[in-house]
Amino acid sequence: MASAKKKQHMVCRDCHRVVEGTSCSICGTSNLTADWTGYLVIIDPEHSEVARRMNITLPGRYALKVR
Amino acid sequence: MENEHRLTRIFAVKTTNRAERSVADNIDKAVRDADNDIRVMSVIVPDELKGYVLVETDEPIARVQELMEHVPSARTVLPGVTTLEEVGHYLIPKPAVSGIDEGTIVELINGPFKGEKAVVKRVDASKEEITVELYESVLPIPITVRGDHVRVIDRGEDDS
Repeated sequence: MASAKKKQHMVCRDCHRVVEGTSCSICGTSNLTADWTGYLVIIDPEHSEVARRMNITLPGRYALKVR
Repeated sequence: MENEHRLTRIFAVKTTNRAERSVADNIDKAVRDADNDIRVMSVIVPDELKGYVLVETDEPIARVQELMEHVPSARTVLPGVTTLEEVGHYLIPKPAVSGIDEGTIVELINGPFKGEKAVVKRVDASKEEITVELYESVLPIPITVRGDHVRVIDRGEDDS
């Protein structure tokens, strides 16, 4: 039986990246929070208008709002 | 290069309720799949838009529909295309305290006072917190709560 509790991902407060583990793999900071909303998956940052507007250059998963 | 950026369009995809984030992850997986040649640039999952994800692509709708057949919990692609200008406001979420001012009557929807009505006494926009006083309470005790833990009942605009 799978655990009923849904895993809460952590988000880097600096770059808004959704991270696995205890520190952000890009910034290297451990300034993380579980209090975030909105979700953005960047697949192709070079051709994405959304990535350009959000100043994102790396593919990955991001939070739109971080508290 | 500028023209290449302008070609992207955005489709709204209906999803199973509360499966928006997993649909976005599954679209990512499906796009990266070796035998897939459908290009998707990004997927937006705004918190305000329940039951939908926004897919940024340069493909026509038929190709997006084809991709969604391989994505669990994705239901239908809405006919019609939109642009980043129309959905761009979702990328910059509004502060939780927007629309709440001193004197606004709110209902607490979370925490120990859930279900209680209260009147707003102070708004802290930087912390996204508000200080309220409960209606029912005999003593007017100020309580500070998060801006997203209340629902506005009356904005108190009838001050003629």
